[in-house]
Amino acid sequence: MFEEFYTVAQSINNEYIVKAKEQGVQCIGYTCSYFPEEILHSLGIIPYRVKGLNVSSLSVADAAFGPFICSHPKCLLQHFADGDYSFLDGIVVTPGCDSMRRIDECIRKTAVNLNLPVVPPFFFHYAVPHKITEYSVKWLVDELQRFIDSVTEHFSLSFSYEKLKESIAFYNRMRKRLEELNTLRMNYPARIAGADAVAVYVAGLSMPRDRFYSMVESLLSQYTGTNLEGRRRLMLIGSANDDIDFIKAIEGETAVVVADTLCYGPRLDVDYVDESDEPLHALALRYLNHSHCPRMYGGYKQRLAKVVEAIERAKVEGVVLQNIRFCDLHGAENGLIERDLEKMGIPCLRLEREYGPMADYERMRMRIDAFIERLEVRKFANISS
Amino acid sequence: MRNALKQYNFDWMLWRTYEAGSRLLAGTKQEYDIALRYIPYFRDPVKEVFKAKAGQLFLQMTATYLDNIVHAHQRGKKTCMTTFCFSPAILYALDIVPVTLELLTVMMTFLYKRGTGEFLDYCNEAGFTETSCSSQRGSMGALLADIGTPIDMVVTDSPGVCDTNANAFSFFAAYKDLPFFQLNMPPWLVEERVTEYQVQDYKALVAFLEEQSGKKLDIDRLRQILTELQKQDELINELEQFLCYRPLPLPVTTCLFIYAGRFMFAGMPIYTRLLELLVNEGRENVRLHQQGIYTSHEKSRGFFCYIDHYTHSLRLWQMLQELNIGYSGNILSHFWADSNPPVIQNNWKEAAYSIKTNTLEDMLTSIAQINSRMPMIKSIRGPYDSPYMWLQDTLALASMYKADFIVYNGTPGCRNTWGMVKLLAQDTEKAGFPTHIMYADAFDDRVQSWDATRDRFEEFLRVRRLI
Repeated sequence: MFEEFYTVAQSINNEYIVKAKEQGVQCIGYTCSYFPEEILHSLGIIPYRVKGLNVSSLSVADAAFGPFICSHPKCLLQHFADGDYSFLDGIVVTPGCDSMRRIDECIRKTAVNLNLPVVPPFFFHYAVPHKITEYSVKWLVDELQRFIDSVTEHFSLSFSYEKLKESIAFYNRMRKRLEELNTLRMNYPARIAGADAVAVYVAGLSMPRDRFYSMVESLLSQYTGTNLEGRRRLMLIGSANDDIDFIKAIEGETAVVVADTLCYGPRLDVDYVDESDEPLHALALRYLNHSHCPRMYGGYKQRLAKVVEAIERAKVEGVVLQNIRFCDLHGAENGLIERDLEKMGIPCLRLEREYGPMADYERMRMRIDAFIERLEVRKFANISS
Repeated sequence: MRNALKQYNFDWMLWRTYEAGSRLLAGTKQEYDIALRYIPYFRDPVKEVFKAKAGQLFLQMTATYLDNIVHAHQRGKKTCMTTFCFSPAILYALDIVPVTLELLTVMMTFLYKRGTGEFLDYCNEAGFTETSCSSQRGSMGALLADIGTPIDMVVTDSPGVCDTNANAFSFFAAYKDLPFFQLNMPPWLVEERVTEYQVQDYKALVAFLEEQSGKKLDIDRLRQILTELQKQDELINELEQFLCYRPLPLPVTTCLFIYAGRFMFAGMPIYTRLLELLVNEGRENVRLHQQGIYTSHEKSRGFFCYIDHYTHSLRLWQMLQELNIGYSGNILSHFWADSNPPVIQNNWKEAAYSIKTNTLEDMLTSIAQINSRMPMIKSIRGPYDSPYMWLQDTLALASMYKADFIVYNGTPGCRNTWGMVKLLAQDTEKAGFPTHIMYADAFDDRVQSWDATRDRFEEFLRVRRLI
């Protein structure tokens, strides 16, 4: 039932993109969850959240980036250098974090240095503020308009607010369906494995959205659920993850990830775009507000509150806080969350890892097993008392 | 952290040490020489600083800065934790005491052989990442451990420019549950929309500071500070002219004094006096055709495209003198006033700031523009090869100073520059500047020992036939 989602989620290109491209449909990649797909959708362009999966060498990425950089953007760059993203007609780079935003220069310079046609024809640096105020929302509205002007000029398209409103409504419907899917794992007992749920989410960022929507509809109407009772219920927090094997490694045979705050995933709240508001303003508000990312400095308390809410709703027994090495934003916030959740009596495990092939699988598995054991002991103690 | 280290507040210890150091020249030459015998760990940095005529005032200024921090609450003032790239002028205008993490870190690493190692490590104990920038961690560890003057509020202006910097301040505020304000920088500099955003953001900052300090912004005091800043800019401009001469007519520590002073006391008279002393020394040396590095011959000249190396005893500066290398600037010593030599030479007025003091609106716009052109805030906010960013600034300054080579030095925590420095180095090499990337940590010798750092630096100089 999930095979198709896994196939799309675990590869860079896929048959849906290939078919759409054959019909002349454009595809634009983007690097960060603060980018509103609705705009591209309204223009008939496929939005594609770039992934770093299945990289076997970092030869180009290591030459361009310095050594103290998160391996996720390095893997993205390597894919660009290897020509794996040649199907993209454009790329939108966002200052999500320092490592990710430097992919702007790294892609452009790699093209020059290695004489490779790796820069998509349309290239846009999309400036998202780090705070939510009246003037930062206004900034983002202007930035969305700048993007619309730029993309319509480049591809000779005409933009219409009516179509954008339709796309906003479509995305809201899609969010509603994804929320239903997410509820399947948050409910007790969980009826869908975390890996399966994440596979659906990641697939959704890599293919034409209308097709994805019908696949999700079909899944929800046919899926009867998996019996996951007895597994320890975990929440996963931290650095971006598009790697389903990582979720599988955490779940193993004894746990299920019932909630997560990961980029590429549902994050904590689904948050709809206000369809009664002026469309660009509504998009700016939703995208600045919804993302559960420590790049929004000073918002720790709000993020913690949402984590706690999710823990309660999903009856989470333990929280895995992971960060990719050199991801200081999540690394530092994980330290705060660990302190505060442990104070509340919620067991936490902090993991630092590398992105990419699961080179440290055994080490990580051992730590997770020990953590699960801790949860077992705790459960037993609770029952005894 | 060792219990012994918790016996005294670290800022109090620093204050006493700098205070004592600043009085060393008050006696006779003989008394000074004898005193040096009794401070074996401190004498090298002291001697190095005193090679400049402004050295004593520099130490006094540092001691005053620390005195302000240590006694802030006793004097009824609020303390604000902030960063080197945030101009403290607005804090002085509101009578708030700046506690600048990077300055405190450097003050410690210069003096103490052990550096800030235990404070760095304490940050990790508190949950902060070991891969974050050591310039904040070096002193933040002490404040997390409550062995410093308590902080009342936290302000940073690096979001949009440097994640690791912003993240340190945001972490500290969350850890201690303190009021936090961030100034947020768009990824480019010259556009009406950017100016408007930055001014609005700055006004929100002023409102935040007024609320936290319980004081109203005094317009006359702000005007006085901005006027003083104009005077300081003029003096810096003259110093920059001297720094272009070859041989260098000023001591190699000049650049350090310029930016450290500005980070401590922008807009305050004590910094003006320091600059005046430096200018007078430069004028005198130019008149006498003397060079400032006190060596026989300036063999070559370097430009540091990022920061210097700050570990014990000012060894970077000692090395430069031993190798007869002139060092006239780095990216930290430029503040981009509209009268600044590289601005004039390259006709970059649109990227510079102007100080206007007619109305409050003028002043707030001016100070917001000054702040958004602080070192690092200006140059690495956007793609390094965009207009007025790192590459353009580096090439212009290296050319202006007649540099023979360029050096990058930073910290492994600097995600931002490590994301592009290899590409920058390729471009500066293409432009004809041999470029050396140092893999050391500017604030922590445990990452790479100074000996290894120096060896590699010298190897670069020899291989590229620069010495």
